[in-house]
This record gives sequence, structure tokens and C-alpha cells, in this order.
Amino acid sequence: MSLEKWIKSLRILNPKKVKVIHAELDTIDLEIEGMIFTDVRPRRPFPYTHPEYIIFYDKDEKEIGILHDYRKLDRKSRALLEQVLNLIYFMPTIKRILSIDRSKGWKYLWRVETDKGFREFETRGRCTRLLPDGRIIITDASGNVYQIKNLNELDSKSIAWLMFVL
Amino acid sequence: MERNPKMEDALVSSHKLITYYTDEPEKSEEIRPILNRILVRDEDILAIVRSDISRNGVYNDEYLIVTNKRIFVISTNGQVLKGFNLREVKSASIRPYLGVCALVVNTDNGSKTVVVYSKRRKSAFEKVVTLINDMVLLKIPTNELKSTLRQYLSFGKRPTKRSVFFKILKMTGSTWPLIVLTLFLSVLGSLISLLPPYLMKILIDQVLVPRAHFDLLTKIVIGLLAVYASSSLLPQVGHLLLNIVRSYVNLKLNQKLTFKLRSLVYSKIQFLSLDYYDKYSYGDLYSRVMDDVSRIITFVSVDLEAVIIDVAMIVFVGVLLVSMSPLLTLISMLPIPISIIGTMIYRKTAPKYYQRSWNKWSEVISILSETLAAPILIKSFNKEPVMIEKFKKKMTEHLTTGIDIFKYEQKLWPAIGFSFTISNLLIWWYGGMNVIHGVLTLGSLTAFTSYMWRFYGPINDLLNHVRAIQRAMVSGERLLEILEAELSVKESPHAKDVEIKGEIDMKNIWFTYDGIYYALHNVNLHIKPGEHVGIVGPSGAGKTTLVKLLLRLYEPQRGEIYIDGINIKDIKLSSLRRQIAIVLQNPVLLNVSIAENIALGKENASLDEIIAAAKAAKAHEFIMRLPEAYDTLAGRSGKRLSGGERQRIAIAMALLKDPKILILDEPTSSLDALKEKEVSEAVDELTKGRTTIIIAHRLSTLRKVDRIIVMDKGTIVEEGTHEELLKKGGLYKRLFEAQVEGLTRMVPTQVSK
Repeated sequence: MSLEKWIKSLRILNPKKVKVIHAELDTIDLEIEGMIFTDVRPRRPFPYTHPEYIIFYDKDEKEIGILHDYRKLDRKSRALLEQVLNLIYFMPTIKRILSIDRSKGWKYLWRVETDKGFREFETRGRCTRLLPDGRIIITDASGNVYQIKNLNELDSKSIAWLMFVL
Repeated sequence: MERNPKMEDALVSSHKLITYYTDEPEKSEEIRPILNRILVRDEDILAIVRSDISRNGVYNDEYLIVTNKRIFVISTNGQVLKGFNLREVKSASIRPYLGVCALVVNTDNGSKTVVVYSKRRKSAFEKVVTLINDMVLLKIPTNELKSTLRQYLSFGKRPTKRSVFFKILKMTGSTWPLIVLTLFLSVLGSLISLLPPYLMKILIDQVLVPRAHFDLLTKIVIGLLAVYASSSLLPQVGHLLLNIVRSYVNLKLNQKLTFKLRSLVYSKIQFLSLDYYDKYSYGDLYSRVMDDVSRIITFVSVDLEAVIIDVAMIVFVGVLLVSMSPLLTLISMLPIPISIIGTMIYRKTAPKYYQRSWNKWSEVISILSETLAAPILIKSFNKEPVMIEKFKKKMTEHLTTGIDIFKYEQKLWPAIGFSFTISNLLIWWYGGMNVIHGVLTLGSLTAFTSYMWRFYGPINDLLNHVRAIQRAMVSGERLLEILEAELSVKESPHAKDVEIKGEIDMKNIWFTYDGIYYALHNVNLHIKPGEHVGIVGPSGAGKTTLVKLLLRLYEPQRGEIYIDGINIKDIKLSSLRRQIAIVLQNPVLLNVSIAENIALGKENASLDEIIAAAKAAKAHEFIMRLPEAYDTLAGRSGKRLSGGERQRIAIAMALLKDPKILILDEPTSSLDALKEKEVSEAVDELTKGRTTIIIAHRLSTLRKVDRIIVMDKGTIVEEGTHEELLKKGGLYKRLFEAQVEGLTRMVPTQVSK
């Protein structure tokens, strides 16, 4: 009963009435039903499981509204928003694992090729998480996140390396 | 007066209408003749329990007798030492002391000690106290006590060794074909390993000694090669076919069994009533699922197999040996008794040495863990050098035990080994004579000696497996205890799905966790649908117990609970628990994402619903500040989040569940004052239009409730609104004043800073 009220109080935005007019590094300018909002921060409440679900915050961290699926925005708006999202949700996809050095016990040193370039990183303890859609999320010791989108797309050598840590 | 000479377990048929409780049937029957002189008309014995300490404080037996009329204590010669009429007894309890316990009855004239007993007799006396309380507190009629008495007995009853063995085998169920297959393969493998000595015998007798049949030489060598290659005799070289197939089948069996047994126990644990969780510790239940299952599997896949192979080998080799030379067989058996006796001595004495070594080792460990756990204590008292000395000393002690073990083993084993050497020499001597005299062929003697060693091996092996089998039996017992446990909260067969409105009626509720101390006595409570009720009282007053009964996590010993006029026993458990939500003082979350935790409240909750619930519970903001937001894993038991954060997530779960009845156990206890205000807004949101029970220590939490119930020592002592209760000037007023005083005392110190 009371929950109904709270659901109704969510401001769900119509993607047809939302336009992204400008994008900075981590903020955008928005036009919603004719009103302009500047310095808007898009956030994903479900960054892994539902990355399409976006909440917009204004410069005072107050909530502007919710987009159920930002991919329904017009093409230009979507491109601008994605540009910001891709930067702030920086999550390189691992294409190939060159090696995982396990000689230091519980510290693993990874050497990988990602879609954003070559990278070396260190993980400690349990660092992998399997998502319901089959993706694997790897969090390194400093909190950076990498993903493996599809295990089957990796070459057999990379899979062999990965078996040590999964 | 009928008497049953056959004592069935501990339950002894008695006097007239009922059987009585005792844990020592023989001793109790001994004093029955004396008792018969003391008992009056229509007096039935309900319990006879022996105390091992007399009232003058020496080891001497006294008997506590409970009948349907009185409680009394007699000495072994029949003198009545103390007695109480049941009518004057209000309740019974136990007073634990350092070395003894006392059974105490409470009467109008205060509490009176009936008998003292040593702690060895603890469980028997606990049952008697429960029995007395059942009669005087719960007023259960004597003839109905019979079922309670039976329950005690089945509780303590242990399954026999044989039944455990067969029940374990039954549990393994569908894996039997696999078990038989591995056994067959193993026996086959062992039998093949018996071939080489036989081939050697032919080689010596028919080729080498007569220097003839040279074609046989090649054939036998090829035959030997084939045997070695196909058997498990040389695992490092061979490990071929048979062994691989056997190992594979064994692995399969192992996995199948592990899966079967663990899921069996795990599922049972899921449905165990909470009293089992109280009775067995977390670690105990954990070790039953993990360790005991492992032990049984090792037994079935390793020990059972080994034992059967050993027996098969002993029989086969025995027959072979006797067929070659009965007398030599007899000689070869001489060291076997010595070996068995030696092993038995070792079994008896070795644990002493090993136990000492383990003890010393655990002392080393405990110093280390103390140091790691309490660095501040050690440093602030400058105790580092002391700790280092202590550590070194314990290390040295542990190392010494290693030397002791070495010395001890050097005494025993060479002696046993020597007996085998002697018998071996005897065989060569006597066998050699036989060969010289042409009674025995050289080949037979060679074959005999090599078979002989194959005879010793399995016998020793068999002895080693005895202990593993004993351990598996104990594990089996522990598993069966869980698997055969009766659920105390059972669903009645005609329980229904009920849409509830939220009227609660508790009538004459009596409840005890242990049968001795009553957490609730005679509680009567009526709550109207939609009413908000606060429950306050000192800790241990029975507040949380009350709501646990409402959720039917436990069953009251006496009294009934109705929701909307329907006895909760007639409502399906799933239906009841779906419509009642509880937010605990210290909620535990599952280690899945925050979103999944919240969604536990409602199947297929939409993302909007999850966010709305989190917002209503004032959890949304902190969740969004986490980099992974709602996809953040809560951590083991939700430990990655703070208490207040977990509590708000629990409130969100409850909101999503949309319950008809809401129970809040100290909803704001783990929050600071500012958060408390925020969360109490969330709580207000949650409680709107629902029957709500709020358990609180902080009386400020109860500002908005319609009625306050004050509990103390298991009963309701006052009820009314805040103002009414203050006017009354009872316990509530005292609690309130204590809290207000605490607050006002704080203020000046803060101001002065």
C-alpha cells in the first residue's frame, strides 16, 4: 500500500522527451520536456545486471529522473550519453590473457590484452564474480574492474590461465 | 498391581495406569519393593531418579520419586528424607553450583531444596524438572504425561551399531551397483596379483631345476609381463587398464555418494525447527554436513573396499598355503598373534603420546592467536618479552614430544618385526629340510614364502581399518540423529492458505526453551487488526520469544495463538510466513547483490519496485554511493555493510513483502540519533495500515504506538498508553525515568566541553 505511493513518486522519464545536448567528461546537459538541466550526472543503479537503467542527478546530487532504457533515446543523445557512461563505467573487456603469475601465493599478477589496450594488474583472494548472463567480472586489488564477456570467445590458452582462478 | 519384568529401554511399566520415567531401570526396580510400602492408595509413580550425592555431602545414593500426588526423596533403606505435596508446589527449577546442582521447588512458603546431585546426573534431573513443571505449571493431566515421557526416551535412545550400519548402507541407495562394481574390480585386481608366485613355482620346478622345457621359459616370462602390466602391482609403472577403470568407478561412486548424502542432510537442516539450532551449535551442524559425511564416504569407498579385499585375500592365500604345506602354514601363522597383540598395545598406549603432542601444539597455537587477537593489551602492559618466552617454552615442549614418540615407537615395532623374521627363518629351515628330503619342491617353497607375506599384509591392514569403521559408525549415528529428527513444528495435514487481516490473539501461552525455565508464562494478548503495539521490558523478559511464537518458529508448550480467529496451526507455514515480516535487531543478509537481497521480499520484483522500496527505507542514497550500487555483493552475512545499512535493507525487504503483520525487533537500535530519525520515518512508512508489533529498549521508538505492553520475567505486567503507564507508576515509569535520567546526565558534560 505504502510502497505503491513510493513507486508512483519515482519520476520515470519518457525517452522520447529526453534529449542529451552536450557531453563533458563525466557530465551531460539535458533537455527534458523543454526544460534544460546542465551539469547532470548519469548513474547506473545496476551497472552489471541492467546497464541500460539510468538515474540522472543534478549538480546538487538531487535526483532528476529515471530512464528505464537509455538505448531508446534518439541516436545523437544516445551517443553522447554512452560517451560519458563508457568513461565513468570504465570496464575494459579482456580479449586475451597472456599470463597469470601465481608465484607470489595469494597475489596474482595478470597480463592481459583488453579492448582498451594492454594492461598488467594484481588481484588478491577471490576476485572473480560470475553474473547471471554468464559474464565474468574481475576486480583487481585497487578496485578496478575488468570483464570477460563470453568465455567461449577467449582462445584456449587464455581459458587455461583463467581456470586457475575461477 | 501389575508389573512388567521386561524393561523396555528405560521405560518401566509400573503401578497402575502409566509407565514412569527413569534413566536407570535396574536400580529403580531395586527400590520398587520399598516404594510399594510408602505409596498410598491411587498413587502412581511418574519418575524415579537416583541422586549420587546424599544430603550430608558424601557419595551416597538417594532417590527422588515423583508421583501424581507428591515429590519425595528416600534413602536406599526406604527412609523418607523430604517430601512435598504436589498441591503446594508452584514450580520446580535447578540451581547450579560449582560441583553439584540442587533441585528446588517453589512453594507458597518460598523455595525449598529437595535434593542435590552431581552434574553427571544432570540430564535425568532436567527431565524430572520438566515433568514436575508440566504437572504444576502447565497442569497437564497425569494420563497425558505418558506421551511426554515417551518423548524423553526416544530423545536419548541411541540406534544400535548394527542398525546404524544398515541404515548407512541404505542411505547410499542407488549407488549400490557402483559399489559392487568397484569391489569386483578390486578383488579381481588383487587375485591377479596372486598369479606371479604361482608362475615362478612352475618356472623353478619345471624349467630351472630339471633344466628342461625351455619353451616354457619364454611363455612364463611373457605371462609374468602380462600380469605385471595389467595389475596394480606396480602402480608407478603400470597403473594400467584395471586400475584406471577401478579408480574411475571409485571416483564416480565417491562423487555420487557425496552429493547424495550432503544434499540429504542439508535439505533436512533447512526444515529443522529452530530448537535444533539452539540445541546444536553452528559448528556442530556444520561439521555434521561436512566432516561426518566425508567420514562415511571414506568408509564406503575406501575402508569397506579394503576390508572386503583383505578378507578375500586372506581366504584365497590361506587356501593356497594350506594346499602347499599345512605344517609350514602353521609355522607362518606363529607371529600373527604377536603382531595383533602388539598392535593392540600400540592402540592403547600410542594415543597418550600423540595426544600430548597435539595438546602441546594447540598451546603453541593459542599463544599465537592470543597475541594476534589482543595486541593492544599485550603492548600496553609491556608483555612482549613475556609472550616471546612463553612461546619459546611451549615450542620446546612440543618438540620434546616428537622425540618421545620416536623413542616409544622404537621400542615396539622392532620386536614385532623380529617375530616375523624368526618365523621366516623357521620356514626356510623346515621348508629347506623338506626340499632336501624331496617332500616339497623348490618352486613350492619359493611360492610359499612369497604368498606368506601376502597373508600378513591383509591381516595387518584389517586391524588398521577397524578404527576407521568405528569412526564411521559414530559419524553415521550423528547423521541419523539429524536425519531422523522429528520436527517439533509440524504442519497439520489440513492446514490452509489463508489471507489474513491481522488480528492476533494469544491465549494462555506457556513456553520454555529447555523445559526448565519458562521464558513465557501465561501470556494473554489481543491485538486488533491495524493496531500498533509496542512491547517493552528488561532484557530476558520474553519480548523476542513472543514474536518467535507468532512466526511459529517454536511451538508453545501450552496455549494457542489465533490470527483472525484461526489457530495458526491450521494455517500453512508458507502462508503464515509470507504475510508476516520481521525486521531483526541485527539482520543478516545473503551474499548476493543488494538488489537480490531486497527482492527476497517479493518474487519477480521489478527494478522500479526495488528502488522504490529502498527509497522508502532510506537506503537508496547510500546504495547509490557504492560504485557497484545495487549490484554490490552484500558480503558474507552482509558483513560488507554496516549494521544500520543492513537494517535499512531489511526494512526495504519487508516493505516489498507487503506483510499484513509486521514485527520490528529494535528497529533503530544500531543507528545513531540522526539516522534514527530518518529510519523511523521509513518505519512509519512501513507500518501504515498494518498490524505492527515493535519491540523496543529505547522508549523513544514507541512515540507513535497505540498501546504499550510491558513485560517482565515472562509475563505481561502492565499495558496502556504512554501517559496511562506513567500515571500508574509501575515498571514502565521506572524504565522511562532511567532513560530520561541517562539523557539529562549526559547534557551538562557535553555543554561544558
